[in-house]
Amino acid sequence: MAPGPDPNSVGDGAKRDEATTKVPSKDPKKKDDKKEEDLSEEDLQLKQNLELYVERVQDPNPELQKAALESMRQEIRASTSSMTSVPKPLKFLRPHYGTLKEFHKNMAESDLKKLLADILSVLALTMSAEGERESLGYRLTGSEGDIGSWGHEYVRNLAGEIAEEYTVRQGEESSIEDLMDLVQQIVAFHMKHNAETEAVDLLMDVEDLDLLLEHVDRTNFRRTCNYLTSAAKYLPGPDDMLVLDIAYMIYIKFEEYPNALQIALFLDNMQYVKQVFTSCTDLLRKKQFCYMISRHGITFELDPEMVENDVDREMLQDIVNNTKLSEGYLTLARDIEVMEAKTPEDIYKAHLLDGRASSGPSADSARQNLAATFVNAFVNAGFGQDKLMTVPSDSTSGSAGNWLFKNKEHGKTSAAASLGMILLWDVDAGLTHLDKYFHTNDNPIIAGALLGVGIVNCGIKNDCDPALALLGEYIDKEDSSVRIGAIMGLGIAYAGSQNDQIKSSLSPILNDAKAPLDVIAFAALSLGMIYVGSCNEEVAQSIIFALMDRSEAELGEALTRFLPLGLGLLYLGKQESVEATAEVSKTFNEKIRKYCDMTLLSCAYAGTGNVLKVQDLLAQCGEHLEKGDNHQGPAVLGLAMVAMSEELGLDMAIRSLERVLQYGEQNVRRAVPLALGLLCISNPKVTVMDTLSRLSHDTDSEVAMSAIISLGLIGAGTNNARIAGMLRNLSSYYYKDASLLFCVRIAQGLVHMGKGLLTLSPFHSERLLLSPTALAGIVTLLHACLDMKSIILGKYHYVLYFLVLAMQPRMMLTVDENLKPISVPVRVGQAVDVVGQAGRPKTITGFQTHSTPVLLAAGERAELATDKYIPLSPILEGFIILKENPDYREE
Amino acid sequence: MLTVSVKWQKKVFEGIEIDVTLPPYVFKAQLYDLTGVPPERQKIMVKGGLLKDDADWSAIGVKDGQKLMMMGTADEIVKAPEKAIVFAEDLPEEEQATNLGYSAGLVNLGNTCYMNSTVQCLKSVPELKSALSNYSLAGRSNDVDQTSHMLTVATRELFGDLDRSVNAVSPTQFWMTLRKKFPQFSQLQNGMHMQQDAEECWTQLLYTLSQSLKAPASSEDSDAVKALFGVNLRSRVHCQESGEESSETESVYSLKCHISHEVNHLHEGLKHGLKGELEKTSPALGRTAVYLKESLIDSLPRYLTVQFVRFFWKRETNQKAKILRKVDYPLELDIFDLCSEDLRKKLEAPRQKLRDEEGKKLGLQPKSSSKDSDVKMTDAAEAPSNEGGESSTAAQQEGASSSSEKGTHMTGIYDLVTVLTHKGRSADSGHYVAWVKQESGKWIQYDDSHPSIQREEDITKLSGGGDWHMAYIIMYKARFVSM
Repeated sequence: MAPGPDPNSVGDGAKRDEATTKVPSKDPKKKDDKKEEDLSEEDLQLKQNLELYVERVQDPNPELQKAALESMRQEIRASTSSMTSVPKPLKFLRPHYGTLKEFHKNMAESDLKKLLADILSVLALTMSAEGERESLGYRLTGSEGDIGSWGHEYVRNLAGEIAEEYTVRQGEESSIEDLMDLVQQIVAFHMKHNAETEAVDLLMDVEDLDLLLEHVDRTNFRRTCNYLTSAAKYLPGPDDMLVLDIAYMIYIKFEEYPNALQIALFLDNMQYVKQVFTSCTDLLRKKQFCYMISRHGITFELDPEMVENDVDREMLQDIVNNTKLSEGYLTLARDIEVMEAKTPEDIYKAHLLDGRASSGPSADSARQNLAATFVNAFVNAGFGQDKLMTVPSDSTSGSAGNWLFKNKEHGKTSAAASLGMILLWDVDAGLTHLDKYFHTNDNPIIAGALLGVGIVNCGIKNDCDPALALLGEYIDKEDSSVRIGAIMGLGIAYAGSQNDQIKSSLSPILNDAKAPLDVIAFAALSLGMIYVGSCNEEVAQSIIFALMDRSEAELGEALTRFLPLGLGLLYLGKQESVEATAEVSKTFNEKIRKYCDMTLLSCAYAGTGNVLKVQDLLAQCGEHLEKGDNHQGPAVLGLAMVAMSEELGLDMAIRSLERVLQYGEQNVRRAVPLALGLLCISNPKVTVMDTLSRLSHDTDSEVAMSAIISLGLIGAGTNNARIAGMLRNLSSYYYKDASLLFCVRIAQGLVHMGKGLLTLSPFHSERLLLSPTALAGIVTLLHACLDMKSIILGKYHYVLYFLVLAMQPRMMLTVDENLKPISVPVRVGQAVDVVGQAGRPKTITGFQTHSTPVLLAAGERAELATDKYIPLSPILEGFIILKENPDYREE
Repeated sequence: MLTVSVKWQKKVFEGIEIDVTLPPYVFKAQLYDLTGVPPERQKIMVKGGLLKDDADWSAIGVKDGQKLMMMGTADEIVKAPEKAIVFAEDLPEEEQATNLGYSAGLVNLGNTCYMNSTVQCLKSVPELKSALSNYSLAGRSNDVDQTSHMLTVATRELFGDLDRSVNAVSPTQFWMTLRKKFPQFSQLQNGMHMQQDAEECWTQLLYTLSQSLKAPASSEDSDAVKALFGVNLRSRVHCQESGEESSETESVYSLKCHISHEVNHLHEGLKHGLKGELEKTSPALGRTAVYLKESLIDSLPRYLTVQFVRFFWKRETNQKAKILRKVDYPLELDIFDLCSEDLRKKLEAPRQKLRDEEGKKLGLQPKSSSKDSDVKMTDAAEAPSNEGGESSTAAQQEGASSSSEKGTHMTGIYDLVTVLTHKGRSADSGHYVAWVKQESGKWIQYDDSHPSIQREEDITKLSGGGDWHMAYIIMYKARFVSM
């Protein structure tokens, strides 16, 4: 017998010479005979060789053993490089696994034993029983050679077994050092071979993500981080934070600051934000960071540490303060040529309906005029001109005043405040226009002017604090409508600012025994907005006391719901931090206890996608209760709030809501359209649209009303023709029912909001970030909609203006290094999820090329179509600073 | 002395000096010079709120070079309009009704849709309404019996109720008097009142009204109903066998549209209906012979009613069966070729004039506006509506005289104003609905208590040929031209 392996059997099986060996041994059983007939000659040869090696391995002669092991190893290695089916050598060695295992057990400690362990480890890949982790076991006793030499599949399998082993050992609290060595190897291997996702998975399993930092390099950090951030959405806390922390560190390490900033904002970690500023030295890039922060809508003070130069800092602070937002928005409007003001009639398009509208009613309907006021405000939001409120007043009676007085009593509040909406973000012009309304003696008008000041300043910060200076004086006036105007104005203007001065002036109202309920409700709400997501103890205490002080009768009022909501907003998205307060809420009067509980829970977990909370809330919705309980409404809304953060959860929530609709009680059904509206806000999904369209004809008028409002919400700022058509038909269907018609009008206004340039979506930066103030605004409106009749159709219709907090231009505006708008070609298309995909897949599909500024619809993404410029942020949304590409050559 | 800059609206005033020893009012006066905003309306934002006139500069902590913001305008303060605006919500209920632009529906009292739809159709004739409102007990002639009188009064009241109310009206009183007058409508089936033929109700009601509205004394509007709806026919009766020929005149309230296999369009049906065969004793032959009767229209009514003869008595099944055949009808009907020679001559001039006018309008502006003026024209013609020819001769005379007096003429062209439809397979079952064109040009479907707006193109779709609502009685309104 030849001492070494047959040279022809080694290596490429395909090119094996056919005439080399005549197979001598033909002793297999009959059963095998049949099988062998199916085998090609090459395979037969291979099989026999392997059988020979197996035999020889058991030979007492170490030389022979070694040679056999070597050849076996080569045979296996040669075939495991690709893995589409079980490799032949492994297949043929299957029957011998047991024999080899047995032999290995009895072998003396030697290099050969290790060699055999290596081979057994590979064989265990297909052979070992589930849960035995033999592959890993043999690997650990093996020769610890290059792990990749056995092919990807082996490494992948090993990684899986390590994860299992790790959990077992964690349970036993035994050492994991040997495992970690292996992990090191595997991670290094994966990271080198474009398998970042697997590396990350393994490290997450063994809870040692820090290792990643050593292994990422310039070529793979993007894909790694991309995977980390998307995986974070599906991890339970606190792991998600940990994962994002790592992503942040990687981004910082590779100076990918915009992404790092994004994550810092996601984590709501101001320390990290600051670090981004201090690590980056380029002023231009810092400007881009400021734009990103301003879009997120948080209050942020730059300090000398972040930007040294005073002049620069002032300029950057201006960007953070959003002072240029109005200018940018108007640039977009001019470019798209929609500056021409629109009247409500342009929106209603009654001429497309038959007959009726051609001869309008002879007398003004206050309800319809109020609707027109809102439509006018939403449609012309931010444009600075309209045809009802800002038309130049002629000397005779002041025609601007005319429309104002076509609204009745509290309607005038909304009319005056609509001026704030029309001049949104343009503080100077806005205050000028509103000034004259301060000097009347008509209280609703003054209230409206105050609210208008708040709206104009929404999202804009100013050193002089004009809103606080103007509104502060009116907080303690006699008239409660004026007080509400000022309080709500402050809430909108300073949402998220955590301004102490306002707190000290609003908190006393909450515990003032003489204050009327509506003033208290709005004060609680405004405080909630100003301290949104801050978990501020003091404010929480004040609201809790206010809630405890309410009498039984007051707790039954519709507006009381704003108290728990204000409390909830304090903990918006803060998860466990709410627990102490939730505990306190259990001591409340039972009339409000559950409502409060649901509101707190839904706010605290808003945007987290926490599945357990979704289940909790679903369980609440499924209960069939006696009359009088009203906590299911917020539970349904909460379902949407928790699930809205990522696509999968969102789709699931939509499906669950369909069920709830079918089996739920009436008060649950009323909230379902609103929840759908929140889930698809400014994102008109056809299925949801159809559901809402169906519900808009529901026999229960409250279901119909919320469905109509929701149709407006899902189409907000999209000019969606289909929704517009539906609403038009609804307007003729409900022409006799003033309340429903009012809702239809509001929805029409929402659909054409900002003539289609705005979005209400609280998500931005490729749906990663959730602007807390925006969410607060929407949620407040939705809670108000839970009792449509007494709030929006009553005299508190101005709560509709809370939507202003979520209004943002859905634009991409490119600016040059001097922040002047420039036009460049960009491709805009449907965003494609490329997480964990191999190679460099296209990130958008079905794109069209436009020149900036452009509008981005929900789910769309833009990319530059020119190499002439380099964008300073990889997320092309909002304001983008472009830098000239030094390597660019004109062709 | 401090130097600050002040931002006002979009302007920035640099280098304004503040004398800290003087009260801020002085500073405001400085700004008044610059901006024209009176000091009492200036709002200057400083730390901690607005700058007060008597504040102490040192306490405010304004720094040298600081930027201050000022708000305030010299604009006129808005004033409420002197005349308070009246809102629809504040109006009493009756006035809200007019806001809708159409009147209320009628409650179905149990298979009374035939009556409801008839009432809605007839109510759309303003002339009838005004004739009814002039009707009074005093003016009642002796030959009108008590029940007719009661029915007339009930009709008047019902029309009035419909105009005043927003919500559906219950026509109980009317129904009772109708049943009293015409006991056939009280037929019961399984303890319920039966569905009736709307055409019968229409004819009977109109006949009663024509009787009671016949003013005995005054010669002018002797028969208001006839003047509005009556069609004079001049027929030539011709016997082919004997060659005898005679002519006769009759007055009918509606034209019949016979439906046979050849009839696809209203016009054909009308022609068909005006021709007929009858058997009568021929004096020449001394036995019964077949006579051919051909009728032509001799005078035109203000409102032309056309009945589709959709129901016929089916002996086999012992019930009124329905012809489902589709018969189209136009929104604008021209009956010139159904008119007699005399009438045609009279119509020619007005028709020419109408054509000219339309041509002019078409040349100048789109058609839609011409419609408006048509409405005006007919509105103008409403004034003399109570007059009209009582007989063909009277109509002729009047036609001659009215041209000088009122200057409006019939043109032989009619516009569709109401459609009474039936849905179902036999006249005594199914459902009747009225479709009425309002003065504003809108079409309203009165389905018992639910009025709803319809599109004009849907009105022409009621022409049959399926199980959808199909026209049973339709009414056209004459188009006039002023000469």
